[in-house]
Amino acid sequence: MKTASAPSQRGPDSVNHASAPALDYGRRRWRLGDAPAAILLLAPAMVLFAVATIYPLLETIRISFWDIQGLRKPVFTGFGNYILLFSDAGFRNTLLTTLWFTAGVTIISVGLGWVLAMLCALAPRQTLVFRMMFFAAFGISETVSGYMWTGIFRADKGGLLNSFIELFGFPDFAFAWLGNANTALWALIISSAWSAVGLPLMLIFAAIQSIPKSVLEAAYMDGAKPLSTMRFIMAPLSLPGVRVAVFINLLTALRAFDIIYVLTNGGPARATETVGYFIYRESMTQFKLGYGAAATIVLLVAFLIVSAPAVIQRTAGAK
Amino acid sequence: MAADVTSMFEMRRRTFLAGAGGLALSTVAGVSRAADEVSGELAVLNWAGGTELDMLHNLQKAFVAKYPKVIIREVNVTGQGDMRPGMRTALMGGEKVDLFVNTWPAFRKELADAGILRPIDDQWKAYDWDKRLAPSWRDLGSLNKVTYGLTYTFGDRSGIWFKKDHMAKAGIADMPKTWDEFTAIMPKLQKAGFAAPIAVPGKYWAHAEWFETLLLRTAGVEVSAKLGAHQIPWTDPAVKTALQKYATLITGGFCGPAADMLATEWDAAADQVFQANAKNFILIGMWLNARAKDDYKLSEGKDYGLFQFPGLGMGHDDTSSVDSKEYVVTANGENPKAADAFLDFLTTADAANIIAKAGLASPSKEVDASLYGDVQKVATAAVANSKVQFVLGDLLPGDLVDEYRVQLQKFLQDPSDANIDKVLAAIEEKAKASY
Repeated sequence: MKTASAPSQRGPDSVNHASAPALDYGRRRWRLGDAPAAILLLAPAMVLFAVATIYPLLETIRISFWDIQGLRKPVFTGFGNYILLFSDAGFRNTLLTTLWFTAGVTIISVGLGWVLAMLCALAPRQTLVFRMMFFAAFGISETVSGYMWTGIFRADKGGLLNSFIELFGFPDFAFAWLGNANTALWALIISSAWSAVGLPLMLIFAAIQSIPKSVLEAAYMDGAKPLSTMRFIMAPLSLPGVRVAVFINLLTALRAFDIIYVLTNGGPARATETVGYFIYRESMTQFKLGYGAAATIVLLVAFLIVSAPAVIQRTAGAK
Repeated sequence: MAADVTSMFEMRRRTFLAGAGGLALSTVAGVSRAADEVSGELAVLNWAGGTELDMLHNLQKAFVAKYPKVIIREVNVTGQGDMRPGMRTALMGGEKVDLFVNTWPAFRKELADAGILRPIDDQWKAYDWDKRLAPSWRDLGSLNKVTYGLTYTFGDRSGIWFKKDHMAKAGIADMPKTWDEFTAIMPKLQKAGFAAPIAVPGKYWAHAEWFETLLLRTAGVEVSAKLGAHQIPWTDPAVKTALQKYATLITGGFCGPAADMLATEWDAAADQVFQANAKNFILIGMWLNARAKDDYKLSEGKDYGLFQFPGLGMGHDDTSSVDSKEYVVTANGENPKAADAFLDFLTTADAANIIAKAGLASPSKEVDASLYGDVQKVATAAVANSKVQFVLGDLLPGDLVDEYRVQLQKFLQDPSDANIDKVLAAIEEKAKASY
């Protein structure tokens, strides 16, 4: 059974050659001389990975078991930081805010990116500049973007949004958008989504562009109208791009910090504090490095939970 | 024998003369060497910005002019709001500096406890700084009777800034001296087109300023000091009374909507008063003097002024909140002699006058007081005639100060009595774990 099923996974060519799997196996088998060469080739990347990723990760895990406050002498506290973290009402609120923020940014950026990609797909050449402009926003640093949006949401008449509101004759609707708990969170979601919309646009557009022309032509020949083509062909076939965009934007939103730091500083009264900002505040402002490290590990676990299905699926696909 | 005695005398005289001459030469050479020894690289950790940084650079230039063999290396820490995190990171990251500016007594304690600071009591005696600085400044830079900081500037934090043409527009000739007079001019300003006369920057920390002076004026410096050391709880009725006074400004509509306050940072609030002419009063500290002159191009005393916080008639109207900035030297600095020479330089007339010209106050007795502008004169006199208490927020441990500011933001959102109780209970809960 095993030998019979193996060829079928190798594609149509191997089905007709019973001996092919054995030959392939022989070709891939490592010789003793290959190992040193492989190690040598992998070494630079592995060293970099160890220094830049493994060491900081292990160090963060180590620190999370210590009570480090300011410049005082550290005290080993075991799981104390983790216990404290989950009994901290502020941290629980932060988790909820992170959930809203991440969901909001991902839904808006991917949704808008999908709509824009569909529109661009109708006239690919004519929308080149338009696509580039949207993608350029993705390249702007979050700090710069944050300062730009601060100018837009400014409380006084100098704020661009309030200026427009007054210009259109609704001065009573001018508001300190960043000073109210609800509007500040929405302001953050909108500004972050704006920065993030370029990537979904490009990924989904690329997915649409990879739809074979023959499929679209066949639909046309069968009398499908543009909306039907979009609904029944382009939309389903753009899903691989949507999946990747959701995955990337979800992870980016989950660890958001810069734009929150610039735009709201986590306020008012911590209403826009996400886990990323909480880690910064505890680690840097209050210099409780152990507590901040514990929160970092919790965020890392959240990352793994979110990314595990995609990683497993991708890895399985690679086999 | 006589010859022997004579020759012996001669020898002694020659020896004495030679010795005296040698001593004189060596003394001169020694002084010369001492001056020469102040040389090499002096590493300064810097976190200031804007006009204050310009002033610090002027001080450094004047110091180097005096000690030409010194080269100053600046280690810059950038950020916004509280600069302590950046400083901690730099120091813990192994950055070796000789001296830096500190403005937080709580941070001085943290640094001293960690062995980062070098005491300067010996230097104080050797350089005889008592001649140039009053003993109170030494006390201000001390911790458990060990001196760590040399104050180079101080500021009145109970002075309210205003623009003169705003007052003229509202027909206000004299600035208020009492709380009732202060609240009574608000409707006049509102009638003159200033919807919310008081600028309260609530985004980071500056919304605490009003509370801190109100606490001094309602309960006195002792209560404020005890609260800073958590010797009385935050739920003490005296604290509530101060917040209730603050609440009257908010509920009276003099500060504008809570969202406006919470969306405004300190420099934007200053812009609202001095640039946009949208608000009239701001309580924030003396750094604004340099900004008003340099950034807004206003004339001190002519375009804008400062009046001391109005009296509440509760027995504590002679109190003021003050801040100060000090230079501290590090224990691991590589050029302690140059660092000490820099501290000494700060007490001289040259340095004091640079500070005064920048619109700030110098504690040095050597300062030429005529260099102070009208506003600085008001502030300096107010501090001199007050029972002073250091800014409360800067006395609180790092963990607590953050909660204190956030809870005061919640107070701005809802200044009701019930919420005041909640806010104070929350600060107290944090305080219990912070000391």
